[in-house]
Amino acid sequence: MADARPSGFFAETSQLVFAVARAMRITLLSFIRKPVTVHYPEKPRAYPDRYRGLLALVYEKDTGEEACIGCRLCEFVCPPAVIQVEMLKGEKRNYAKTFTLELYACEFCELCVQVCPTDAIVMMKSFDLSTSDRRELLLDKDRLHAIGQQFPRSWATGNRLRDMQAPPKKAPGEKPAHAKPEAPATPAATPGGVEGPVPSETAQKGGVEG
Amino acid sequence: MTDLSPAVSALLTGGALLGALLGLLAYVTLLERKFAARLQSRIGPYRVGPHGLLQPIADGVKLLLKEDLVPAAADRTVFNLAPVVFLVPCFLIYATIPFAPGLGVADVNIGVLFFLAVSSMEIVGLFMAGWSSNNKYALLSAMRAVNQIISYDLPFLMAAMVPVLLAGSLRLSEIATAQQGLWFVFYPVIGQLGFVAYVVASVAAENRVPFDILEAESELVAGFRVEYSGMKFAMITLSEYAHVIGTSFLGALLFLGAWSGPGPEWLGPGWFRLKALMMFSLITWVRWSFIRIRVDQILRISWKLLLPLTVLLVMATAIIVVLRGGTGG
Amino acid sequence: MPPETPARAVRTLDYTGSERLTMNMGPQHPSAHGVFRAILELEGEQVVGVDAVIGYLHRCHEKLAEHLTYVQYPSIASKTDYVAAMTSELAYVMATEGLAKVEVPKRAQYLRVLVAELQRVASHCLWLGTWCMDMGGALGGGATVFLYCIRERELILDLFEALTGARLLYGFHQIGGVRYDLPEGWAAQCRQTIDLIEQRLLEYEGLLEENAFFHLRTKGVGVITRELAEDVGIGGPLLRGSGVAYDLRRAHPYSSYEDFQFDVPVEPAGDCFARYQVRMVEFRQAIRIVRQILDGLPEGPISSRPGVKSVAQVRVPKGEIFTRVEGPRGEVGCYLIGDGGPKPYRMKWRGASFSNLAVLPHIIPGHSVADVVAIMGSVDPVFGEVDR
Repeated sequence: MADARPSGFFAETSQLVFAVARAMRITLLSFIRKPVTVHYPEKPRAYPDRYRGLLALVYEKDTGEEACIGCRLCEFVCPPAVIQVEMLKGEKRNYAKTFTLELYACEFCELCVQVCPTDAIVMMKSFDLSTSDRRELLLDKDRLHAIGQQFPRSWATGNRLRDMQAPPKKAPGEKPAHAKPEAPATPAATPGGVEGPVPSETAQKGGVEG
Repeated sequence: MTDLSPAVSALLTGGALLGALLGLLAYVTLLERKFAARLQSRIGPYRVGPHGLLQPIADGVKLLLKEDLVPAAADRTVFNLAPVVFLVPCFLIYATIPFAPGLGVADVNIGVLFFLAVSSMEIVGLFMAGWSSNNKYALLSAMRAVNQIISYDLPFLMAAMVPVLLAGSLRLSEIATAQQGLWFVFYPVIGQLGFVAYVVASVAAENRVPFDILEAESELVAGFRVEYSGMKFAMITLSEYAHVIGTSFLGALLFLGAWSGPGPEWLGPGWFRLKALMMFSLITWVRWSFIRIRVDQILRISWKLLLPLTVLLVMATAIIVVLRGGTGG
Repeated sequence: MPPETPARAVRTLDYTGSERLTMNMGPQHPSAHGVFRAILELEGEQVVGVDAVIGYLHRCHEKLAEHLTYVQYPSIASKTDYVAAMTSELAYVMATEGLAKVEVPKRAQYLRVLVAELQRVASHCLWLGTWCMDMGGALGGGATVFLYCIRERELILDLFEALTGARLLYGFHQIGGVRYDLPEGWAAQCRQTIDLIEQRLLEYEGLLEENAFFHLRTKGVGVITRELAEDVGIGGPLLRGSGVAYDLRRAHPYSSYEDFQFDVPVEPAGDCFARYQVRMVEFRQAIRIVRQILDGLPEGPISSRPGVKSVAQVRVPKGEIFTRVEGPRGEVGCYLIGDGGPKPYRMKWRGASFSNLAVLPHIIPGHSVADVVAIMGSVDPVFGEVDR
């Protein structure tokens, strides 16, 4: 710690004093700045458009009927298998007879939203469904529809996500959007190959640490 | 007050002081939490009462209602006695501090010595707590504590000797009145160095960060008080805060002029309290800005750096006092 | 006879009892970085032996991967290294794409690099905060640095939330590309955020770099020599902090990393301070890459297999592949055996932290208990990756 020679000692001590002062100045700056706390729940939280919140079933916009056709694709795609659907066959179209979703086990991965062909299941821009009884989180069809009316809806639906990932084909005569001339490089498949000389990596800061 | 017998008046003063002290300590915990929060870009307690003002009361009620756990294999008597033995010295140190000229419980003529001797007795309670918990973490922490507090009480004493020499008396009220002209912290070089040494030594002797290796939550999970819960835990925590505030008061008295300040006489105690709280804020600011260092490094700082420095400082002060021709300069 | 290498010389603990104190650190411990049990054998204050016990967070990821299809698993993959979720997803998705010979559009590759580097910044923020908290205490200066770092990490998590809708576990990658494209105004917000973080990095260094306390705690502590580093098989900042110039993004570039300019920091000292310096440089280089991407993002689709039409839509032919990516902690690898169907026959994670932990019994003995937390913090394990 302390050097025997007086010059080393004073240099070290003054460096220590300056380092201490610098650190304390930074904490003082934070003291003066406004705190970053948001007074939730008095101030509502600003949810982004794509927020993956609660799940809900929606009605079709033009006819007002339930959008879900009971195809069970969401049930099959769900990784923790929280959805259970029974289909009810009708003359013109099918419906879902029962639709249960175990929200307490849901991972909020949005795969069900992605796979739905009729954009029936969507996520809401909210997560405010805290209860004291887990059974209230076993959502049946009525509950899911109620949630759909209660909260603002997120942007993502199955068809919108599909269109975002690859824009629909343009009019004939133009090249389709996803057949680009430059062949995209495939990701590094095999680890084989020459372990060639690695280009010189320079350290950004000073080199050898004494 | 004068027609009551001295014993009764002493009891009443002591009782009043203890009451005021407990109130002050409870709200000092709130002050620390809000101060620390602001240093970290957040707000401290906010919901309990307006801006968190009822938080200490809520904490006190909660701790009172908690179950009193004693580990099965712990030494019951020692375990239950340890918080008390820890608490008594930490509150006893306030007896010698004069909060205003003439307003103190016992302004003994060896004030500084009494303060320092009694405050270092807390280590007995600390070790009792660590030993009786029957817990390896607590034991490690208690062993480190003995080491650290003993090492830092010496520089603490030496740093406190600087104002004693400058004022020529161990009695605290006389040291305070000797600073009517110029506060000891403003004395060239020895005043400032003495103040810095005092702050460093007192932070270390109170197990505050950056020297709080013995309560290192990330290693020893609260150290010697890991097995305490409920009111006993509250007693230990309050005693620690009492010790910190007590040394802040002592520091304000020794170096910052105690009750001298602009304005009329009756504002004196107010200035004293303000200065003590400012010293406490300084210690808190240091606490929340630095990471802790290892125990062997702490001990090395004490024995190889702080103790020789403070001894030299005391000798230099003595020489200056003699050259000036006596005290009260 | 296996050769006598530095990696063979580990002392086994003497559980029969002696004058030494056997102490448990964890699995419930404020600085165990997750659930980790280190049985320390102490002689006074000095550690003479370490036994590392893991497995408290085992959640059968590899078995789960055999039951979930290639469409379902990527969002689960983020849960291995949950602090750097984008990296884990990327490894799995790249493995599948490699086996199934799926092409990834250029824009998707750039977006993958963008989120990977932003994730690196966020992960290093968490590392710095938790490391300082371990060293400084939850009620002390460490908590201050922790809260500052978390404040910055929140800005990045806000960016990810605007991009994907989730803050921690994203499900951003899918076979053939990525799921989401940049929303309106995201690029401007991203630029603002990284400018702010770059400024704040200077503040952290001011708090730590010249601090004598920090130097005392980290210089000369936990030295990993170059031979030991190469022998044990660690990766990431641990390897580069011991003088080995190896970064997967340079050595085996994937997902268009060869298009970007960045430096790879190497420090020869091998102690905690060297690893700290390596990660601080990586902060800045990641920000540099993010700026390059934002300046030159190509147009185009973001997935060559858009949409999810059925759960078994990706079928991978028979074959096996091992893909690795450079995560914030080291080399994250995914070994996949396809059998022609929609589910893998076998999937194995090479967890970066799992291999990095192997170095602990070599470097901890000889230090005191207080240094154990400093070393663990600089190794930066995440137990989701270790136990899977």
